[in-house]
This record gives sequence, structure tokens and C-alpha cells, in this order.
Amino acid sequence: MAINLKPVDVIVIGLGAAGGVAVLPLARAGLKVAGIEAGTWMDPHQFRSDELHNNVRGLLTSVPKANQEIPTVRENDRQKARSGGRIHPMMNAIGGTSIHYWAQSWRLKEFDFRTRSETVRRYGAGAIPQGATVEDWPLTYDELEPYYDTIEYELGVSGKAGNIGGVIDPRGNVFEAARRREYPMPPLRGSGFSDLMMKAAKELGWKAYVPPAAINSQSFKGRPGCAYHGYCARGGCHIGAKNSTAVTTIPEAMKTKNLTIFDKAHVRRIETAPDGKAAGVTYIREGKEYFQPASVVMVGGYTYENSRLLLLSKSKPYPRGLSNNHGQVGRHYFGHWANGSVAGLFPFDLNVWYGTPAQGVAVDEWSDDHFDHAGLGFIGGTNLHIHTELHPIESANMPTYGKAPEWGSGWKAFVHNNAARWTASYLQTSSLPYEHTYLDLDPDVRDPLGDSVCRITQGPKENELRAARHAEDRMEEWFRAAGATAVRKGVFNGPGVTTHAYGGTRMGDSAESNVVNRWGFSHEAPNLAILGASVMGTSGSRNPTETVQALAWRTAEWCTKNWKALT
Amino acid sequence: MRQDQISRRGLLTSAALVPVSALVGLRTAEAQTTAGTAIDATARETLAAFVDRIVPADSNGPGALECGAHDYIIRALGEFLASEQPQIAKSLADIDAWSIQTRGKSFRMLAPEERDAVIGAMASNEAKGFEPDARAVFLRLRQLTLEGMFSDPFYGGNKGFAGWDLLRYPGPRMAVAPDDQKLTMPKAMRRSAYGAQYGH
Repeated sequence: MAINLKPVDVIVIGLGAAGGVAVLPLARAGLKVAGIEAGTWMDPHQFRSDELHNNVRGLLTSVPKANQEIPTVRENDRQKARSGGRIHPMMNAIGGTSIHYWAQSWRLKEFDFRTRSETVRRYGAGAIPQGATVEDWPLTYDELEPYYDTIEYELGVSGKAGNIGGVIDPRGNVFEAARRREYPMPPLRGSGFSDLMMKAAKELGWKAYVPPAAINSQSFKGRPGCAYHGYCARGGCHIGAKNSTAVTTIPEAMKTKNLTIFDKAHVRRIETAPDGKAAGVTYIREGKEYFQPASVVMVGGYTYENSRLLLLSKSKPYPRGLSNNHGQVGRHYFGHWANGSVAGLFPFDLNVWYGTPAQGVAVDEWSDDHFDHAGLGFIGGTNLHIHTELHPIESANMPTYGKAPEWGSGWKAFVHNNAARWTASYLQTSSLPYEHTYLDLDPDVRDPLGDSVCRITQGPKENELRAARHAEDRMEEWFRAAGATAVRKGVFNGPGVTTHAYGGTRMGDSAESNVVNRWGFSHEAPNLAILGASVMGTSGSRNPTETVQALAWRTAEWCTKNWKALT
Repeated sequence: MRQDQISRRGLLTSAALVPVSALVGLRTAEAQTTAGTAIDATARETLAAFVDRIVPADSNGPGALECGAHDYIIRALGEFLASEQPQIAKSLADIDAWSIQTRGKSFRMLAPEERDAVIGAMASNEAKGFEPDARAVFLRLRQLTLEGMFSDPFYGGNKGFAGWDLLRYPGPRMAVAPDDQKLTMPKAMRRSAYGAQYGH
């Protein structure tokens, strides 16, 4: 029997990038919030300069829940799903994956919110790829802009504005959507390699810029600037310069005394009242089962877990899973799967060992709809990004560009000369949801508690592959302009478990094709909200986190302003 | 699923990171008995001979054997990679079986050129009798060799920082100055992130 706890106003499931943000406006408004998190606090001493620990073994986490429920993957309905890998790309902790993410902190653009209508307007209805279920968002960039601004100033984002209220500044990203003001901190510093790539981009006539990052470029709100020590990817920041929710919004929310954190708590079900409202959640903590009732439930797990938890939470009002009476939970899933990994080899040292993946240079000429797609056979595009941070084992596994064997003395001589002379770019190609790409429960694979893991069904699509190949060619141009003597292309990560997973609980005005409304609340269970990239209907060609956080803040704020109507 | 067992076992063995709550429902008995076939003295010698040819000592410095890559692997198979130990033990026995079948001698008794021929047949997947196949075994042992050679010496390999020196990796620093990020590399630190007692 579950132990019944005292009711609270709002439960937020998951204190990561999304839930960790939502608790702040809720707590500030005076609501009593229960933050239920599978992980716990991490100490800076757990953040190591250790590639084997962080990157090879993927051990940075406070509890191993995620690795016990890695989604399975298959390309279509006819296949049996296979393992999605050994290491979950996300981690469990207070702060969640905002602890070990790359901290690239982007806004989407107007086009990303209106991809369908803008594509039809510019290229005709036939330009929408066959089977794509993309819709315009129910809100515009302008409606989200104030929340982007709030996130940038609450958490701390470094960068250089390229468009303040329509005034273009070539020192920033001239392709960005208009913003109300400058970033709260200047951009991260450059490196010898980023200076080289900046110069090469300008020679090509491309308007390169230093991309925004949720990393302090100087001291901010009592935390220091980045030390560029080179163990940022899949590593936590030992000095607190990376603005994870564990060092920003969560401690701020705790100051109000309105947030109670239930750590090491594994949520199994969202319970439903007979009237169809969410009643609270059942979770396991140290072997005991608890029921936490609440007036409002916000689901802030990762994309895979959000759909999975709803599908597992079957009840009389929702026999196919919570908020799934329209059969939309798990639908319109997509990931940034068509990212090319173009690698360049140079005849001189690049010395990219240190730094962080957010320390770099980006190019937007070939992203979104900033170039004419007529005759190209695809829509969307790619943000080209080069960066620092390289580790020894990763470097020893460098591509050999057809110049050396893969072992023995010849290989050894090759890596001796070249391990410091190569780098891989980071290309993010926008992708779309399709009719047959979705998440559901795997009938065969379960976690240790006996609950089915999430199953990904997603095959490669021609539109995305064409877009990715187009971007690879641009990246090769850029590397060669900077002096690269060899370039490796044609390696795509392909559909699978990804850190950039979208959809499954899409946001839209119609309950027929979406799970949540324009405020992030369920079309079916009125006191249930969903936080995270699972509500996003397009990806753009850049990292999702800041958009996830702006949406989470907006959903939480709407909750506080409509409290009476909601409850 | 073998891969899932590796992962689960790995997380269990890093006990410091695993709170009790995380173990709820886990089949701990199974996990504790996963380590079966031992890596015996013969297997150790086979492994040492193998890593020695993957990265041999030559004019570019010490090889994987001198770096202690095999020590790293043996140690890892007793802790983080414990669930993989039977598979690795079998792979090493399969290397011997293939050597005897094609060259008439155990792998560790072969001359260096003959060992290279065996490894070459594994890399090209021409060698038979491996699970799941020879190339997969080659790639796994190669990866473990690189881990032993290039990970922090805290884990038992990369002795004398010879692995990092080979790659010209200047070593972990807690803070990195702008001058450390120019196109010319800074001075090598030759220090473990876990303290000065490791790596020598």
C-alpha cells in the first residue's frame, strides 16, 4: 500500500532543464510545489577531469535510473526493436542533464514556428515532404520572445546580439530573430582554432559568429566565469560556471520556502480522478511506495519518459494512457538524427584539447530558410558549428582519412603526428515529424520495476538526408578554406536514442493532432501540463534547451495566473 | 542482451555512485555472479601479446604493453567490465585456437610478424571461430587497448604518461588560460587528475 502524503498545489516531475525552471515562477507566486526527482544533488567533487569516467563509461549521474530504461529502436513497424545503446544520453540528478550538457543556449527563429505555412508560401504545398505531419506552432516567436529573455537573464547566457529590435549588428548572428536587448554577458572567449575558423568563414563571405551559451563568460550572480578546462561535455562544472538549473533556478526557488524536493524518487504512475483530472503521482523511494496528491501535475521528464509515463498511466478515464484518448501520445516524434560529423585534418596543430563544446564559431547561412531551397529537393537546413574540447581516447579513435592503417606502428605514427591536428564539426540538421515516426511502449523490454521502456520507431527520411548532405558540403568548404588537407564526410548518426528528441506530446490548438494546448496543458486532463521538447513540433537546426526552458517558464506562469480556473 | 548486462553491472560495481533506492527490483544475485570464466595466466599472456602488437614500441615511443594497457584491461574486467569477463576470456581463447589452427602455435608463442598476420585476419574478418565475429572481437580489444593506453593513469595504464605523450595531449588542467588555447600547444603537465601518486 502506498503511503499517502499531504497534498500540495503543484507537482513537478523531474528537476532537469525544464522542470528545474518551472519550479521558480510557481514558487515565487506562492504555490506549494513538490519537485519529484529520480536523482539527487551532486557535489562538485563528483565532476571529474576524466574522459573514461565521463565520456567512455558515461558514469556522471547521481542514480542509474536512465541507464535502466534506455529506449529501444527500430526503423518501422515490421522490425523487432533492438537495444538503443549502453549509455543513456541523459542523466539523473537535481539539475538533470543541464549538468552535463554542452550548454549551447539558442532561440529558435520565426521560420521554425511557421515552417509549414512559410514553406507553402515560398515553395508551394508540394515542398512539404510526403508524410510529414509538421504544423505551425500555436504561438509565434514574438509570443515566446519575452520568455527567452527571462531565461537568458535568470540563468545567465553569454553571447553577442545580432538583431536588437530589428537593428542588425554584424558582431552577432545577423540571422537571429529580433531580440529586445543584449545578452547579459559577452560571448565566451575564442581560441586559436576558433580565430582561424572565423577568419576562413569571413573569407567565404559567411557571417560567422560566436554562438550563445548558458556558461558564464565572466562572473555572474556570484558564480565565476568559465575556466575552459576541457571536461564540460558529459561532465559537470567543478566551479559552477555552467548555468544548470542545479545552480540557478532551483536554488532560487528554494529561497521562497515553497519548493520541497523529493529526491531519489522514481515516479511510476500519474493517478487520475474519476472526473479525468490528474490526482497526483505514485513514486518509489528507497523501496517504499508513496502517493503524492496535488491540484496540478507537471510532467518534466525527458522526451522519451514523458510519453512513456503517460502511456504507462492507464486508468478508467484514459484506458490507452493518460491524455491519450485521441491517440496522440507518442505521435509526431522526431530527433536531430541526420547530423553529419564532418571531420577535418590540418597540416598544423589545432590544439583543441581544452575549452568547451560551446566555445566555438557558428554559421547560419545554411540553416532554416536563409537560402533559396528552390530545386534543392529539401526544406530546412543546418547550423554549422566548430568547437573546442577533445579528449585523448576520442582523439586516438580519430578518422585516418585513408592515410594509415587502424593499428600497429603505421597507425601509431599517424596519431602521433595528427591527434592534435584534427577536429570534428557539429552539424545540426533540422528534422520533421512524420506519420510513421512515433514512440510507444516496448512489449518485450522492461526496466527493473517491470515497466515497459519506451520504443522509438523512426526510419531515415530523404528530406533530412538531402539537407544533411548539403550541409556536409558547406562544412567541407569551410574546413578547406581554413587550410584542411583532408576531410571525412558521410557519417550520419542516424535515427536512434538522442539528446535532441522532440514530440510525443506535441503542442497545438487541435486536440485531434496534439496532446497539449498552446499553454502546455493537456487537451484532455485540464490540470496536467507537459514540459520539455516533447511539446515542440519543429526542431530548427539548433539545440533545444533554451526553447524548452522558455516554454516551461511560460507554462508555469500561465498556471499561476489561471490558478482558480485550473483548480 | 549482453550489452545491457555490461551497463547494468558497470553501474552496480561503481558502488559509491549507487544509492540503495536505485537497486530496488534489480536482480542483484544475477549481477553478482556474472563473472564466470577467469582470465588465467595464459589468457593474460595472450592479452599482453595482443596489445603489444596493436600499439607496438618503436621509434615513436613505448607501446601499449609498456603503458600497461593489459593491466588496465585485467583490472577493468575485475570491476567496471566484470560482466564482460567471460566474453573476453572466450575471445582470448579463440585467438589462440585460430593461431594454432593456422600457424601451429599459441598466439603468445608466435613471432611478432605472425601475430600481426593473426590480428590482420581478425581485423579483416577473415579469421573464423569468433563470437560474434573476428572483426567485432578485434574492435573491442582495440578499444580496450586504447582505453588502457590513453585514459588517466589512475586506472592502471598510461604508465609514465607515455600514451598522452604519444598523442601530444598536454594533460588535464583545472583552469586553462588563453595562451593554453593558441594553435601551438602548452607544455605537457604529466599529471593525473587524481593526484601526483598516479602515473609513475
